[in-house]
Amino acid sequence: MQTKRWRMVLLTVVWLLIMSACGATTGGDAAGPASGDPVKVTIFVGFGTGTDPQQVTAQEELAKKFNESHTDIQIEFMIVPYDEATERYLAMVSGGNAPQLVGPMGISTIAQYLDQWEDITPYVAKDGYSLDDFYGPAVTLNKYPTVNAGLPLGLFPSFIFYNKDAFDAAGIAYPPQDYNDKSWDINTMRNNAIQLTIDGNGNNATSADFDPANIVQWGYADTWTDFRGMMTMFGASGVGRPTSEDYKTAQVNSSEWLYGAKWVHDGVHKDHFMPDAAGQGAIDADSGDPFGGGHVAMWYSHTWYMSEGLTEVPFKWDIAPLFYNQKGERIARVHADLFAIPKTAKNKDQAWEVMKWLVSPEQIVEVCKIYGCLPARKSTEAQFLDSLRTRFPGINHAVIFEAIAYLDDPNHESYVPETGKLGDALNNSLTTIYTDPEVDVEELLNITNEDVQIILDEYWVNQ
Amino acid sequence: MANRNSSRRTLAWREARSGYLFIIPWVIGFVVFTVGPMVSSLYFSFTDYNIIDAPRWVGLANYARVFQGVPEYLMSGDPRQLKDPIFWKSLQVTLYFAVLALPLNLVMSFVLAILLNQKIFGLHIWRSIYFLPSIISGVAVTLLWVRILNPRMGILNSFLRDIGVQSPPGWLQDPDWAIPALVIMGLWGVGGSMIIYLAGLQGIPTDLYDAVKVDGANVWQSFWNVTFPMMTPVLFYNVVLGLITTFQYFTEVYVATGGSGGPQRATMFYNLYLYQNAFRYFDMGYASVMAWLLFLIVLLLTGLIFRSSEAWVYYEGQLKGR
Repeated sequence: MQTKRWRMVLLTVVWLLIMSACGATTGGDAAGPASGDPVKVTIFVGFGTGTDPQQVTAQEELAKKFNESHTDIQIEFMIVPYDEATERYLAMVSGGNAPQLVGPMGISTIAQYLDQWEDITPYVAKDGYSLDDFYGPAVTLNKYPTVNAGLPLGLFPSFIFYNKDAFDAAGIAYPPQDYNDKSWDINTMRNNAIQLTIDGNGNNATSADFDPANIVQWGYADTWTDFRGMMTMFGASGVGRPTSEDYKTAQVNSSEWLYGAKWVHDGVHKDHFMPDAAGQGAIDADSGDPFGGGHVAMWYSHTWYMSEGLTEVPFKWDIAPLFYNQKGERIARVHADLFAIPKTAKNKDQAWEVMKWLVSPEQIVEVCKIYGCLPARKSTEAQFLDSLRTRFPGINHAVIFEAIAYLDDPNHESYVPETGKLGDALNNSLTTIYTDPEVDVEELLNITNEDVQIILDEYWVNQ
Repeated sequence: MANRNSSRRTLAWREARSGYLFIIPWVIGFVVFTVGPMVSSLYFSFTDYNIIDAPRWVGLANYARVFQGVPEYLMSGDPRQLKDPIFWKSLQVTLYFAVLALPLNLVMSFVLAILLNQKIFGLHIWRSIYFLPSIISGVAVTLLWVRILNPRMGILNSFLRDIGVQSPPGWLQDPDWAIPALVIMGLWGVGGSMIIYLAGLQGIPTDLYDAVKVDGANVWQSFWNVTFPMMTPVLFYNVVLGLITTFQYFTEVYVATGGSGGPQRATMFYNLYLYQNAFRYFDMGYASVMAWLLFLIVLLLTGLIFRSSEAWVYYEGQLKGR
């Protein structure tokens, strides 16, 4: 009898295990909120900036501010480390549990998941929402072949961060901050960078005793970007796009990109003013911050770097426009971020309301301070400038705003078919440039062009 | 008599039923988390599936993509004839790594086990020192080794320069040295295999050593005629396990290269390319094909090793010809 009782207990436990394993996932949204309950809008953060500890805290405070002023909608930021963001997001979407908003995301992430985003055009039309206050380029950059993915949040213009102490030590004049000064060109920058490249014995790269295996400070670096980002400044007809306008012909080996690739290769392996792959690894191992760690005298990056790096920099620094390229043009790439609504998300109307709140004139400056972007609204320029002056005193803030006029269009993160595969093919070339001193750059680019053409041809065959 | 048989059968069934009840949770887990996904991935391998949209049946198109261009490549030697040259590159990289890493790991762990089977001062401390690295997380160890192997400021190249090596290797930044760098990194974890060898060594009957000593055998003869044959089952086990682990190599190369498989695809391992197809290119169908091909390759190689074991693995007490 006792044995039978124990068997019944065991059977019951096993049955409970089976039921719990087969039960519906908790999520709360499957049946929808009960009437009167606020709708929960989850904001998935992880595809771009927003995961640093101080940003997490700021986002929690932002959520609290929204939730205290709204009774029908409650928001929650879901912070996911960048390395896990893809898998977590895809798992949520394929499990029928897509977050209501995703962001902030850049153009490349939008392009990579292009089929997933809700087109906000009907929402804009239904509300009569005016886009007039947004910078024109910010609106244009968010329009893709098949979808208007979201309201513009912010722009991240790019410019040169330079170490004033390094320039003083080398006896070189600072880069000009006047965007109309044509003397600040690629050759001037290169010459300065060579003089600013120092080895462990204090010799610069013009010295006969210079030891390229023992560099402690490089003159210039542009390492926190990909191949398209690096080549954008050289003025090809597609600018940052490696294909023709109809996305059918590869244009990786244009004369401008070939010039750019050779310029980078020479800068790394011949003139030594740019860090090679080993140098970049050494910088990562030391401080992880090429400019703030004092490893690079001139660092080409975007405004998002100001919110992620530059916390306690032990030297005087300022910012300057990107130099003119070999054609006498200036193309300073830009990033643009927004929040987007996944097509398969529930409560999309509420997600739209939250999106509008985040980019409203009253909130956009606070939101952009978290993410280090220039608010995409023209009316908030003065307010944001005040906050920049408070947070980063002593630098020329006009450089940031004037850079917008030189942004890259087509953008270096803009949509191309098979974004991931194409990007990997291009970045394979970049690692070759960084790691192989003997590579024939022209041949490399020709091979890459063929690879990209194959990818494009395969894509169009399947359409 | 019939009643007795029936009674025995009922008792046997009752006993078996209890066993089945106890293993049901595991069986459910196995079906739901292993067999189910395997069957699903087999189905997906015949579809065009990007996770978001429903799978679209394409038949053998994904399989054809792997093998298309192989005859032309074999005739011309031009990898650009291949439909997917990166697939074959990833297989080549994985095999290269296996050929280097597997024998080195086996030999090194075996030698260490022999050394740590001697009566020396502080034996337990030495065993702990050699075993500890194998229990540290792969990600943390990889990050550590990336710094050690940095060509400019890593301690390995600093040491090589100090002993007179003018141009030490570029390790993970050099396509020719990236795989050897990963092999060296892998030797850090030989402690796990070493422990298994150690257990095997301690299971060898001492009377065998007494017997060969009486016959006048020296150290080497003693090792070759007693130790090695008695250890072949353990060696066999480690070879099979090592082969499977090698072909599943992913975490270390993902962390060390940021998932790029660089430099110049020199570290594009099979599993890394599979991952890229699945989660970067959203081509689940093709990734499923790669998963099943990997299964078949490992199955084939494991089968060959099992077949070969009849020639070189000795089990104590086995009779030849049976």
